[in-house]
Amino acid sequence: MTEVKKTYKHYVDGKFIRSESGKVYAIDLKKEKYEIPLTSKKDLRDAVTSSKAGFAKWNSLTMYNKSQILYRLSEMIEGNKESYIALLQQHGLTKNDSKNDVEDAVNTIIWYAGIVDKWEQLTGNLNPVAGEYFNISHQEPIGVTFSLSSDDISLNSLVKSFLPPMSVGCSVISFSNQNAVLALKLSEDINNSDFPSGSLNILTGNFENIVEDVGAHVEIRLAAIYSNISNDLLETLDVKGSDSVKRIVNLPSDEGLGSIIPFVETKTVWHPKGQ
Amino acid sequence: MNTNLSMNNIVDWTTTSDLVGNVKVDEVGVLDRVSSLATRSIKRESKLDALEKIISMCDLTTLEGEDTEGKIIQMSSKAMSPDPNDDNVPSAAAVCVYPALVSTAKKIVKDSNVKVASVSSYFPSGQAPIESKISDTQFAIDEGADEIDIVINRKAFFEGDYKKVYEEIKALKDVCGEIHLKTILEIGELKTYENIKKASVIALCAGSDFIKTSTGKISNGSSRESCLIMARTVREFESYGYGMRGIKVAGGIRDAKDAIRYLVIINEELGGSWLSPDYFRFGASSLLDDVLKQIKKLKTNAYQSSYYFPRG
Repeated sequence: MTEVKKTYKHYVDGKFIRSESGKVYAIDLKKEKYEIPLTSKKDLRDAVTSSKAGFAKWNSLTMYNKSQILYRLSEMIEGNKESYIALLQQHGLTKNDSKNDVEDAVNTIIWYAGIVDKWEQLTGNLNPVAGEYFNISHQEPIGVTFSLSSDDISLNSLVKSFLPPMSVGCSVISFSNQNAVLALKLSEDINNSDFPSGSLNILTGNFENIVEDVGAHVEIRLAAIYSNISNDLLETLDVKGSDSVKRIVNLPSDEGLGSIIPFVETKTVWHPKGQ
Repeated sequence: MNTNLSMNNIVDWTTTSDLVGNVKVDEVGVLDRVSSLATRSIKRESKLDALEKIISMCDLTTLEGEDTEGKIIQMSSKAMSPDPNDDNVPSAAAVCVYPALVSTAKKIVKDSNVKVASVSSYFPSGQAPIESKISDTQFAIDEGADEIDIVINRKAFFEGDYKKVYEEIKALKDVCGEIHLKTILEIGELKTYENIKKASVIALCAGSDFIKTSTGKISNGSSRESCLIMARTVREFESYGYGMRGIKVAGGIRDAKDAIRYLVIINEELGGSWLSPDYFRFGASSLLDDVLKQIKKLKTNAYQSSYYFPRG
């Protein structure tokens, strides 16, 4: 039988596409060598356009529906568990570590699927004020988010880099370098989970090539860096990001309620009492 | 001056009828020409000029049942000063509103060079007797409209009664007099290229100052192919000695890149003298924001969000 090898592609706007530049970089695994699309500046801009539209679609779904879609992602991964384990082993993990990692990832997804309709009850507040007013803190998703995933070869780390913003209603451009094959494989299950197109985009490549554009693009409201990047890169991101009034979060918490706080904006509402 | 022209630059019906009878369009040729023009590259400096020109040619439009005076005031202010942070950005050509809101818009723009255009003649369907269309148009003019956008009678067009289409436009041009008359063909309903050309000929002969693609109320709004056909009709019309007429494209033009492609078509088919708000307009609501974003991008080298531009 002919052996068919997969060409991994970016996942943008609900479609599997090559980089418009046609450029690739190589990832060597134990048995296979993959050529992975190398994100160009134009690829990033296209992903931002798609994310902007995706944000409106994703955020307009009911919390119940968002939760179901995230839960469905865990179902998809569960069904393809063996192939994830095999791929992680290809990256050099032991069979046991691979299995644990996939199971952890599924548990993580279920936790975030569960928090979708609860987080605002935990983060919002009726504030005590000295006056005849109700003072209410209400949270909203910040919007289009860029997330640089960790370079750990781990499905669990990968999902932790986009679930916190997704669970509050942000759209995400998830960017991977070393774990690119894993991320692009995951995009196939993302595609089967009924996410609205553009709400979650997966790009791969070298962050250095696009760091200035990520910083400068005004439409990207937040950049979350889950990977250890050099101080030079971080400084570039900070400088460009300050021009575009962007929130930049370096190594945010990846657990619990603290992991989602960076992705919300608080609006405070005053309402007169007794009228 | 051609002898077939009467008052208001109207071409008589016999000549018009002959012109309509001779309409032929090479469909393959049109598609090929449009796709080849779309590949022209525009250099950075020209792009900035083009973008500023697009704004100066923009009829900022809102034609919704939910339009309020507040919304018109906001939009008119935006038309006068689309980017308050950049003095080099020109004002829009006009605001385009329903007749009932003309006076509101006029109050805001009266001291600027922004004009007020009003749709009339029972926009968008045009399904009303001519007497009603005339009074609708007269009302808009009385309220202070500088330009009138009417729709052709598609019912008559599809029933083959071209003369009625012609007579109605002519009657409305009589009401308008010196006021600019833009005639909407609604190309999405006309469907074929020959129909678009026929309707263009009728509208131009009946005295329209502009022919316009679409109401923006149906999903098939403007297309570059229809713009090309209309441009060629305008060119032929001028070559017969009937004078320069304008084109307005409207309906579904949302980004700067697309708008620039329209400018290329006009430049290549009609020449640079048509690249002015007197002869070419964009009817749009969301186009302006994208053009503002692109201008700022060229100046700052950072891609922009519409968060930072005025609403309207």
